[in-house]
Amino acid sequence: MTKPVVHVDHVEKIFGRKSENSFKALDGVSFDIYPGEFVGIMGPSGAGKTTLLNVVSTLDQATSGKIEIAGRDITMMKQNELADFRSAELGFIFQDFNLLENLTIYENIALPLSLQGVASKNIRPLVHQVADKLGIKSILGKYPVAVSGGQKQRAAAARALVHEPAIILADEPTGALDSKNARSLMETMEHLNRHHSVSIMLVTHDPLSASYCERILFIQDGTIYKEIRRTEDQAAFHQQILNVLAEFSSLDQA
Amino acid sequence: MLWKLLTSSMRKMWKDYIVLLFGLTVSIAIFYMFQTLAQNKSFLEANALITSIVFVFHVGTFILAMVTIFYIFYATSFILTLRQKELGMYMTLGAKKGKVTQMMFFETLLIGFISLIIGILAGIGLSQLTARMLMNQLNFSGEGFEAFYSSSLITTVIFYAILFMLTAFVNALKIASKSVLDLVRAPQQADPVMRKGWKIFAGTVISIILIGVGYYVMINMGTFLHFGVIAAAITITFGTYFFFMSLLPFIIRRLKSIRTLNDKGLNSFTFAQLQFRISQLTKVLGTVTMLVALGLGAMAASLSFYHNIEIQTSLMYANDVAVYQPTEEQLQEFKNWDFQEKNDYTYKVSDEGVYFLKDDLLNNPPFIQQFTGNMEELTRTVRVSDPLPLDEYSDTAETEERMISDDWATALRSELLATSRIFGDRTIYIVDETKFSAIDAEIETVTVGRLENFTEKSVALEKIDEHNQEVSLAYTGSIPDMTGSKYENYTSLKAIANGTIFMGLFLGIAFLMMMASVLMFKLLSSATADTSRYNMLRKIGVRRSKLSASIYKELFLIFLFPGLLGFVHVIVGMEMFSIILIEPYTKIWIPILLFLVIYLTYYLLTVQMYKRIVLPKKS
Ligand SMILES: Nc1ncnc2c1ncn2[C@@H]1O[C@H](COP(=O)(O)OP(=O)(O)O)[C@@H](O)[C@H]1O
Ligand SMILES: [Mg+2]
Repeated sequence: MTKPVVHVDHVEKIFGRKSENSFKALDGVSFDIYPGEFVGIMGPSGAGKTTLLNVVSTLDQATSGKIEIAGRDITMMKQNELADFRSAELGFIFQDFNLLENLTIYENIALPLSLQGVASKNIRPLVHQVADKLGIKSILGKYPVAVSGGQKQRAAAARALVHEPAIILADEPTGALDSKNARSLMETMEHLNRHHSVSIMLVTHDPLSASYCERILFIQDGTIYKEIRRTEDQAAFHQQILNVLAEFSSLDQA
Repeated sequence: MLWKLLTSSMRKMWKDYIVLLFGLTVSIAIFYMFQTLAQNKSFLEANALITSIVFVFHVGTFILAMVTIFYIFYATSFILTLRQKELGMYMTLGAKKGKVTQMMFFETLLIGFISLIIGILAGIGLSQLTARMLMNQLNFSGEGFEAFYSSSLITTVIFYAILFMLTAFVNALKIASKSVLDLVRAPQQADPVMRKGWKIFAGTVISIILIGVGYYVMINMGTFLHFGVIAAAITITFGTYFFFMSLLPFIIRRLKSIRTLNDKGLNSFTFAQLQFRISQLTKVLGTVTMLVALGLGAMAASLSFYHNIEIQTSLMYANDVAVYQPTEEQLQEFKNWDFQEKNDYTYKVSDEGVYFLKDDLLNNPPFIQQFTGNMEELTRTVRVSDPLPLDEYSDTAETEERMISDDWATALRSELLATSRIFGDRTIYIVDETKFSAIDAEIETVTVGRLENFTEKSVALEKIDEHNQEVSLAYTGSIPDMTGSKYENYTSLKAIANGTIFMGLFLGIAFLMMMASVLMFKLLSSATADTSRYNMLRKIGVRRSKLSASIYKELFLIFLFPGLLGFVHVIVGMEMFSIILIEPYTKIWIPILLFLVIYLTYYLLTVQMYKRIVLPKKS
């Protein structure tokens, strides 16, 4: 049996001091993601999706519980170790693109490699290779302001991918895109997952984006409420997701 | 209600407000400090070597006022950038435009008022501190200088009150003239404007030519004189602005295009930040350079006056010390001194004459400063070589051949200090052994020495002057005001120069602090906009220490270029003074050190404040 690339075990996250105004955003969350999996995290606004992603991505610290990524326990790591770990093992895609607008697309994509001290002559082919995969080769010399939202998000994906991280973490990557660009980005991510075995953890509240995943964890009020797995085609999975969400809202009204 | 919202969001943006208050306060403090001196006319005129000193300070006030006006307008428009998005939001929620405009007006005034109070208090403290420090260092009593000077206080208050009123109006007008949508869509960061290649090339060429012409004129100031000062000021100022518009962006673009360099670590980011920053800051960097040049120039020029005193006195004296009837203690002490040369001469004193033994003088002829008659080298150090074949010479001899020759007279007067100050109206003789032993008086000696380092022995030299005065008391019955020693000459020249130096340093320090705070404020006021970049870098796994190093590097380069160029301007500019000073570059390291200390302090302060703004807190 293969080892999971992400192993989350009874994780709790409490915001605020342990006084009356503290708030439990995650309450005993456990799950695994295996290599090559494409896992979605869904739930209503305020359910704790971003909190979960931040904790898994080492940007925030869990209050208790254990998180292992690529076999390493991140809850024990120090600041600098965490930074190095992020730069080596994780790739990020955020809703607001998060490209550095004063660097060209090329420089943005090259940054993770530069940071790891990859020699200049090796950086170039790697950047071109990943840009080719994502279909943004023609805009490498441009600055982010000069390209479209969809291209920016592809560039962000390229940057997340270029150093071959253990897993890609995406928080609402389609949130700022129109439906055409959103679809195209999700197709690309699906392609990367299928054909290049990239592991992806995707946070979204958009059912259509979620329908590209293989497995979806629904969370509410900081706990995993339900887990579904894609068995048939995408359209059916989409419908299945919508059904679960409907369940949620009826639960809310109850 | 609105006020409550305002104060609460002011608390949220306190870092920005601290930067703003700091920037305004520093400007006010420096302006006040400068005025304490500039307006104290009686102090200026009583203490300056240069007659046009009041004019110099008027020009200084003008330059400082111009810089301040731009600075204050920029700084207060910063309040607007901080605020406008929020004000727009209130308006979408139904706040009246008139109300919002009014709020902007009063907020600007309020901030101005607070900084005026703190600024003036800081200014009084700063003037006091700077003045005391300089006076101590210079041994300058500085009577008449007052850190709390009411007319300067009034000028500063009026100047800033008008400025803040104006800027409050401008801010209010800007708010009033914008639609709600304009406000809500807070100004996006402008993308770095890439200037066309040929423009950069042309600018670079113009910059080099202008600066080159200016330097040429300064180096050859002797031929151009007054016209030269004006021509150099104009060409160098414009050349400097062109430098920052073209040459510097060109250099950075070149650096960035070196792939192996750009691809290394965070370099691509650091260079990009730098490139962006410089395109934003061309005018500021140009201004800072010129202020550095003025401030450093003022300090260097005044200090070179100071050090010229030592050189000037050395033009008149070949020896540094002459002691009559040295005590046993003094002779012991001399053993530890670094003498280039030390000679003893014996003499006798009778009621009507002073007799120096010829053989002593001939055996160890003293050095004197001989006038050359040419301007390049005023005097030359030579050993007296005039022969003394006769048995007696004097300064009142009837025949020409028995008169003491010019060189020997110079030696006796300037090096042995054998003048009426010590010996009253006795005649000075040089006599041979036979005549000398026939005189019925005690044999005495005078020790004359040339030191390795004159200024280092100033305490002891002062004592020796007192000792010589006592010797004179025994010979003449009264204590002379002076003995005519090199040390006396040196201190009296220094006392005159001290006032000028004090002013030069004061002026220089004010300018340097002003320019550094302009730069600092400019950098810090755009820092908030950079926060998201640093935050993103942290997310993708850049260590805090690397981010910090990138900040150090970027800000260092930004501080470096104006500092360096201003410094070169001064080094070349000092050549101008070679027409009035003997060696304008003597000990130029002192103003340079002062400059480096001030500059470095500001650099480190900026880095620290910048880091506090852009880097996430340490957890
Ligand atoms: N830094 C924080 N301090 C306090 N509460 C927070 C913080 N971040 C998030 N929360 C709270 O935790 C809950 C989950 O937030 P989040 O994970 O952002 O939700 P989601 O991404 O699912 O919309 C929310 O109720 C939110 O208010
Ligand atoms: Mg969220």
